[in-house]
Amino acid sequence: MNSYINSYEVACSAGDIKALMNSIYEKKTAVSINTSFIEDTPLGLGQMKYDDFYDLLAEVVQKVLDNSKLENFHNTLLILGSSVGGMQESEKIFFRDKNYKNLDPRRHSIHVLSDHLVDKFSFLDSRSLSTACTSSANALLLAKRLIDVEAYENILVVGADALCYTTVCGFHYLSVLSDKPCTPFDKERGGMNVAEAIAALLIQNTKDKDSVELKGVGASSDAYHMTNPDPEAKGAIASMKAALDDASLNIDEIDYVNAHGTATVANDKVESLAIETLFNDVYVSSTKAVTGHTLGAAGAIEAVISCEVIKKGLIPPQTGLIELDNKSINVPLNSVAMDVRNVISNSFAFGGNNTSIVIGVCS
Amino acid sequence: MRKVALKIISSHKIYAPIKIEDLQEKRIVPNMMIRRRLTRNAKIMLYLSDKCGFKDGKVVYGSCYSEIQESVKITNAILEKSSISPTSFQNSVYNSAPSYFSLINKDKDEIITISSGLYSARDALKTAALQALVSGQRVLCVATECLNIQNIQEVNTCTKFLESGAAVVLELDNDSTNAIDIDDEGDEGVINSVQDLVKVVNMHQRGISTIFIEL
Repeated sequence: MNSYINSYEVACSAGDIKALMNSIYEKKTAVSINTSFIEDTPLGLGQMKYDDFYDLLAEVVQKVLDNSKLENFHNTLLILGSSVGGMQESEKIFFRDKNYKNLDPRRHSIHVLSDHLVDKFSFLDSRSLSTACTSSANALLLAKRLIDVEAYENILVVGADALCYTTVCGFHYLSVLSDKPCTPFDKERGGMNVAEAIAALLIQNTKDKDSVELKGVGASSDAYHMTNPDPEAKGAIASMKAALDDASLNIDEIDYVNAHGTATVANDKVESLAIETLFNDVYVSSTKAVTGHTLGAAGAIEAVISCEVIKKGLIPPQTGLIELDNKSINVPLNSVAMDVRNVISNSFAFGGNNTSIVIGVCS
Repeated sequence: MRKVALKIISSHKIYAPIKIEDLQEKRIVPNMMIRRRLTRNAKIMLYLSDKCGFKDGKVVYGSCYSEIQESVKITNAILEKSSISPTSFQNSVYNSAPSYFSLINKDKDEIITISSGLYSARDALKTAALQALVSGQRVLCVATECLNIQNIQEVNTCTKFLESGAAVVLELDNDSTNAIDIDDEGDEGVINSVQDLVKVVNMHQRGISTIFIEL
C-alpha cells in the first residue's frame, strides 16, 4: 500500500508554511538574537510568538484537518514526535516554586502533547515517541510502515517542540550554540541555533490531486558515540541507503537532499561526507539556517518543506552561505528551478540515531 | 485493526522499591569509561537485554519518564546558576538507554523510543510487533522507569517501585493457532508504563509462547 501526504501545516519562527517557504527562497533567516535564556550571553534562537503552546498545537492540527478531505480524525491514528514534551511547563513551575509539589506528572513527559490533541480531536488512537532530534522523522517512518502493512488508512504525524531552558542551556554547555543565525556548510560556521516549531502531516493510503508520496524510510544507529557522529559517516550513509531501497529508487533519481545541516562542525563534516560518498552532484541545502534546529520537530517540518520543494519545482538556496567548506557537495547559493522528482530528508540525533525519509511525486 | 501473532523467544523483569541491586554492570560493560557514564535506565536495559540473550537487531524501548534523573540534575543546575554537565545533557534524551545498548553491543540497527505516558509499554509492544512484521527479524522490546529522584514523594502516586523494567524478545509467528491476547493481571505496584511488558513476561513464565498484538 502506498503512502500519500495529503495535507500539512507548520508553525515556526518564520510563521506558517507559506511564510516559511517565502523566507527560505528569499534567504531570510527567522533566527533572532536572544539574551534572556543565559545572562549576558547572546544566542541565536528560533522563537515563535504564542500565548499557549498547546493552543498553537491544536491550531496547526485544525488547519491540517480543514485542508484535508476528512471530516474529523475519528478514524485517524496520531503519532507525535517530540524531544521535550511538557518540559517547558514543568520548568516554569519548578523555577517558580523550587519544588515539585505543584507539578502534575501527567503533564511532564512527551505524551502530554498527544493527550492534548486526543482530547481535542478524538483520534482513533495515539502514540508518542522521542528519539531526540529524529523524533518526528521516526514518527514518519512508523506511519509509512503502518500504512504499508494496511494497519491504518489515515495517520496524522506531528512534530512539536517548545523552547525550554534545559535544551538551550544544555546545548550551550556542549559549546555548540552560535550567537548569530547559523550558517550550515559554511567554512566559518559558528554552531547551531536551538528553535521551536510544530509541524503536522496527514498521511493516507489514498491519493488526492495534490498528493506527494512518502516513498521510502530508513534508519540506522551509529554505535559510535553518544553525541559525536561516526566520522566515517557509515550510519548516515546506511539510513539514506535504507530509505532509497525502501523507495526502490536509485541515487540518480534524487534531485535534492534536505540536509540535517545543523551547522555544527561535527554534523556538517560527516553529513557532507555521507552525501559526497553516496550521490553524484545532487543539490543539497539545510533549511535550519532559516528555522533554526527545531529538535524533535525537525523531521516533520523538513518533510513539509520537502513537499513544497517538489510542488514548486524550486530547490532552496543555502541561506547564510559565504564560502562552502566541503567543495565536493553541491550547495546552491540561489534557488534552482527544475522538475523535482524526489527529495531525501535527513535527521540525525544524540545516541547516533539516524533517519532518512524519501518524498517524491506520486508514482 | 490488524493483529499480529508473535512468538516470545525470551523474557525477563526486575523491580525494586528504591534501587535494583546487582545489575552486573562490570560483567556486561567491562569498559570503565563507558560504564561510569551509564544512566540507571541504561544499566537496567543492559541487564534485561543480557538476560534475554539479545545483542544485535531492532530495538524498541518504552518509558514514560525516561531520563528524569538527568533532567533533574540539569534543572537544578539552571536554578542554582551553575554549569551543566555535558554528560548529563547528552544522557537526558529519552533514547539514552537504547543508545548505550547500541554503543556497547555495536548494534547498528534501528532504535525506536516510545514515550506514550502510562501506555508506553503497550505502545512499545505495538511498535515492536510492527518492526517484527516488516523485518521478519527478532526484535527486543524493553520498558524501564527510574524515578528515584530526591523528593519524588512530592509527586509519586503511581508506583511502589521506583526502579522497574521488563523485556521480551519477539519474533513474527506465521502460525497463530495458539496465539492469545495479553490476559495477565501484571504485578501489583509496578508503574503502568512498564506493566504491559510485565504481563507478557508473566505469560511467558506461565508457558505461553505466542501472543497477539494489535498494531
